[in-house]
Amino acid sequence: MIKTFLLAAGIGASLSACSLEPVQPWDRDILAQQKMQLVADPLETYLDEHIYFSKEASSGGQGVGGGGCGCN
Amino acid sequence: MQLKKSHNTPRNIRRQLAAATCGLLAGAGHAGGLVASGNNWKIDSALLIYAEKDRVALVEPVLSLSKEIDDDEFINVRIVADVLTGASPNGAVPADTPQTFTTPSGKSTYTEAANTTPLDDTFKDSRGALNVEWDTPLGNNLRGTFGGNFSNEHDYLSTGFSANFAQDINQRHTTLALGLSFNNDTVSPEGGVPVGLTVMPVYPGVKATDGSKQDKTVKEVLFGVTQIIDRSSLMQLNYSRGQSDGYLTDPYKILSVLEDDGTGNLRGTTPYVYESRPDQRNYQILFWKGVHQLPNENVLNLSYRYFWDDWGIQSHTVDLRYRFDFAGGHYLQPHLRYYQQAQADFYRQTLIDGEETTLAYASADYRLGEFTTQTIGVKYGYQFHNGAELNLRVEMIEQNGKDRSADAIGKLQNQQLFPDNEAYLLQAGVSLDSDMIINYVLGLFK
Amino acid sequence: MSTRLPLLLVLLLCGFTSPTFGAEPAPDFTLPTFPDDAGISLHDLKGRVVYLDFWATWCPPCRKSFPWMDEMHARYKDEGLTIIAVSVDKKRELIEEFINQRQPAFTVAHDPSGEIAKAYRLRGMPSSYLIDRNGLLVKTHLGFRDKDKATMEAAIQALLKK
Repeated sequence: MIKTFLLAAGIGASLSACSLEPVQPWDRDILAQQKMQLVADPLETYLDEHIYFSKEASSGGQGVGGGGCGCN
Repeated sequence: MQLKKSHNTPRNIRRQLAAATCGLLAGAGHAGGLVASGNNWKIDSALLIYAEKDRVALVEPVLSLSKEIDDDEFINVRIVADVLTGASPNGAVPADTPQTFTTPSGKSTYTEAANTTPLDDTFKDSRGALNVEWDTPLGNNLRGTFGGNFSNEHDYLSTGFSANFAQDINQRHTTLALGLSFNNDTVSPEGGVPVGLTVMPVYPGVKATDGSKQDKTVKEVLFGVTQIIDRSSLMQLNYSRGQSDGYLTDPYKILSVLEDDGTGNLRGTTPYVYESRPDQRNYQILFWKGVHQLPNENVLNLSYRYFWDDWGIQSHTVDLRYRFDFAGGHYLQPHLRYYQQAQADFYRQTLIDGEETTLAYASADYRLGEFTTQTIGVKYGYQFHNGAELNLRVEMIEQNGKDRSADAIGKLQNQQLFPDNEAYLLQAGVSLDSDMIINYVLGLFK
Repeated sequence: MSTRLPLLLVLLLCGFTSPTFGAEPAPDFTLPTFPDDAGISLHDLKGRVVYLDFWATWCPPCRKSFPWMDEMHARYKDEGLTIIAVSVDKKRELIEEFINQRQPAFTVAHDPSGEIAKAYRLRGMPSSYLIDRNGLLVKTHLGFRDKDKATMEAAIQALLKK
């Protein structure tokens, strides 16, 4: 089930990469903005993850590393 | 100019080749906004105040320092301290009479009034944590980020390492990511490690212990794809899996044991037992995120996470942030988050007399129950002309358990068995760089 | 063998990142300049060595190359070097703000549509191109690193001597 999902996602991603108009190096001004980064505010994300890690049974997904605490 | 190194080893050549170009995805943290460059340190700081209604309060300052130590090679140091005070649910259910519990240390007792969720109010902890990351080009369009972390509390020690690799392909429209991490934690509970499912002794009795400390390890691997969709949109899809081994129990959590007569009365003399969890947990995560900028320059950031493990926990998380940019460097960013989780197979609100001897695992920790979390918040930010930023964030977090009182035994039907929680978060942040500080200080002496 | 293989790969990749164009003429252009919009054309620069740099205000390594370009301009302008830093920023005011701060002594031009960048088959930001006195494209360079400064300067010197 997971493998199928990943396969489908992979095919989807590569198809979209082919059919989409490429974004040229000189057209990447918007994508270079801080607010367009996947993690636009690393400290805010760190603090959120710390809170929810100690209040919920799920954590992670966005990346690995960062360390544990005795709060869970 | 003088060359620092006289020998061009293959490693140096490789590093030169790793294009110091505007990488978008790999090493994205320094593309745009304030930049750690040359001798300049980028400084981000935040102060978090988190308070639950009638429960714990947390104050947590964070300082993050980044510097470009060589061409396109960065170091980031994050220092965190936190102080936690207040009360936390101990796992026992409310009763129609006051309840008295022995503290974890075994040196005193605390009493909870009738018809209220028992909270252990002896919680007071402070933590210091250090995280160091080195982000470096490794080859053509390949970056590596290597990190180490250390965190210490009076009863908990955590050390870990991580390695992340990001390879840009497809003319930098796609980034493939591989992440690996390993963590080793040691818990040294107050009063020793309780033996799972043994009774909490009545003060001054001493609990049965299994040594003074226990270890746990967490290994995680992540595969990710990030794709540029168009000039103003990108998406990320990650799959991770992890395994925790060792002591995964919360040494401070207990369960209420009821009489075997259907009345819902607590067992006569020893109504509480320590919880017990399996010593392994395997989990998997699918994570999707999309970032899109609208023609009016507002930014939509949406993510979805599906988490599932072999404890029976499944969860869905949707997180939405929408940033409105205004003239003059001001922005407002509302935030909505919805989290829903199914309970662990061994989650029990109460046990019946005798069950603690037949069950292998049981926990009444509300965090392993079935509940939802709803978050609503807003962040205001102001960007100065030189790139420095001030921001302030306020959020409200509400956790609601599934109401099972109709299924409860006897008079427990009249009690609120899942401890709902309401919390408020206040965060203030400042971002600037060392040149700004130096210029300011020099300005004072002019 | 095991140590030579990566080296070989690296050399192969090197061939990809800085191709030598031999006798290929550099695509001609006429672009508006800063601050007075006088405009500059490549065909007017015959007889001079041209260092053509594509940059943007939003690109950190591009910004990092400005002090070095200033240095090169001061050192070699009398020997026949012309530096043209072509910004691919969309908005003119972003560039104006930047050059007001930095006050570069060399020419800053504007290619908001990326048309000229496309003609030069730009693959990343920043990219620089060395054009000899006869208007031939001799060398391209992707990215900007402190480590590359010496070799880039040597390439400029070699062309000036020709």
